[in-house]
Amino acid sequence: MKPESAPSSLGSGFLLSRLRRAFRGTLVWYGFLAAPLFLIMVFVGYPTFLAFQQSVYTETPAGDVFAGTFHFQRLFSSQVFWGALGNTVLLGVAFLAIILPLATIFASMLNRLRRGATPLKVIYFLPQLTSSVAVAIMFNYVFQPDWGLLNGVLRSLGISQLPLWLADPRLSLTGSRAAVTLLAVWAGLGYFIIVILAGLQSIPTDLYDAAAIDGASPLQSWVHITLPSLRPTFIFLIMTGTVDALSRFGDLWTLGGPGGSPARSLQSVVMYMFQQGFESNDFSLSAATAVVFFVIVLVISAISFWGFLRREFKAIR
Amino acid sequence: MAVDQTLAVTGTRATPRRRWRLPHDWRGQTGMAIALILGAVVMLAPFLWMVATSLSRKANVSMPRTPSLWPPDPSLFNYFIASDNLPIVRLYLNSLLVVGVTTGGYLLFSSLAGYAFAKGRFPGKSVLFIAFLATLFIPFETRMIPLYLFMGQLHLTNSYGALILPFLAGGFGTFLMRQTIAGIPDELIEAARIDGASELRIFFQIVLPLCKPTLATLAILNVIWRWNDVLWPLLVTSNRDLFTVTQGLAMAGRSQGIYTGVALATAVMAILPVVVAYLFLQRYVIRSVVSSGVKG
Repeated sequence: MKPESAPSSLGSGFLLSRLRRAFRGTLVWYGFLAAPLFLIMVFVGYPTFLAFQQSVYTETPAGDVFAGTFHFQRLFSSQVFWGALGNTVLLGVAFLAIILPLATIFASMLNRLRRGATPLKVIYFLPQLTSSVAVAIMFNYVFQPDWGLLNGVLRSLGISQLPLWLADPRLSLTGSRAAVTLLAVWAGLGYFIIVILAGLQSIPTDLYDAAAIDGASPLQSWVHITLPSLRPTFIFLIMTGTVDALSRFGDLWTLGGPGGSPARSLQSVVMYMFQQGFESNDFSLSAATAVVFFVIVLVISAISFWGFLRREFKAIR
Repeated sequence: MAVDQTLAVTGTRATPRRRWRLPHDWRGQTGMAIALILGAVVMLAPFLWMVATSLSRKANVSMPRTPSLWPPDPSLFNYFIASDNLPIVRLYLNSLLVVGVTTGGYLLFSSLAGYAFAKGRFPGKSVLFIAFLATLFIPFETRMIPLYLFMGQLHLTNSYGALILPFLAGGFGTFLMRQTIAGIPDELIEAARIDGASELRIFFQIVLPLCKPTLATLAILNVIWRWNDVLWPLLVTSNRDLFTVTQGLAMAGRSQGIYTGVALATAVMAILPVVVAYLFLQRYVIRSVVSSGVKG
């Protein structure tokens, strides 16, 4: 690649200058790209290829044997996989259904508050900076049935039938899945509020002035102006929130181990993948799960990109 | 604002004795303030309760049935036990090393690739850029198990290399840097080239200083991601001497769970420095997270 390595027999000066110009023009850019490209190919491209490859092969002592769709059939006939996928989807849907209205109300209030909005924002955002592991450890005790913070507060409010929260694997509003949903809402609220606030501040104020002149009450203009104007923000939050919810791992692992105890009620898809690949050494099944996970995320990303982001980017430009 | 002021001025002129009066929407403002402060109490209560419990030695044996935000027997006992159980200083040094090197590398390699894609003209540029962008659509979880096996083949499991190497370059940083560098006028770079500056010098002395805000955003995001990551360290390191803070906390949380005070003291030690850093940098942190639209 160095110009000096050129054969110097014929017109070395001319060739050297041409090579130097070519180097500056083109080769230097490959130089800039070499290291990042190498890293991406080795640590992103290659393992992704391996995941796809491993999902259609079976490891045997004699080497890998082509298995076709065998591992996918195993995966799709596994109750545990469907349980994990069902958990992940259920937790994601419940999370979004609670956090979106809540964050919208809080953001609207923060937006209209004349004093003290900044310290409140800082407080609401605080859990976002705390690792999901630390949040899970904290809430493990908050949800403790006998002396936990939550049940303690409920008891002082006069409630006698106190829920078991994390210890109750049943599908109920006070069971383990409800507990981890509350945890996620608590942890994610600040982020949702801040993003919705940014959306609120981009709504032109003359819309509100016009509505006020027409005699609309604040509530009416909130319903007819604010909420429709926030549509792109909501779509963005739903899309990114779905992908985040699908890849949920750290807090559930800390609370329930790779199996998502109690009774696998907290096992997510990524935890299933982790357990099959890391603990059971069933790499093909884990790879098949990875491929399914990849397809689901790709579909959601594609919908969000083509259906929403493209239009938004055009609007900004 | 201007309308309010004129009204206030005319108001004072008409009734000079009334200097101050409640704003017309004081009910709404007070109601919202109460609701928001209640919300903030709910956000803070678990933190305060955790700190109070971590300072109580009795918490390991029995907890009061009514939660208290003040320890009945304030002592640092749990913190001594927690730092005996877990080499917390070592964990911090590990986290600082891993987060520091990955962030430095991520910024450098993202900028290098971003510069080439923004200002370079070379065959294969669009194909390579699409390849970089495609990595954005590959969740880490898809490739984590093969990557873990690959690390084994490289004899890198249980090493800092395994914690650092996979995160040195990425599509997101490259994309963000390309967008930023594309906004730098070509004339600036051309002028430096005519003055005889080498491409590397242009990159380090002209391009990078102009990208400081984006680099800061990228640095903050990467620190949050890497500091909080637990999935990859759990897979690739089992040697306690290599644990990061988050990983050590996750392992301790699962093993010492019955000793409430000690477990919560560990959690406080893991969270506190991050919280303090956040309080100083909150404006930049919030802006970075929101502007990029990616969560930690």
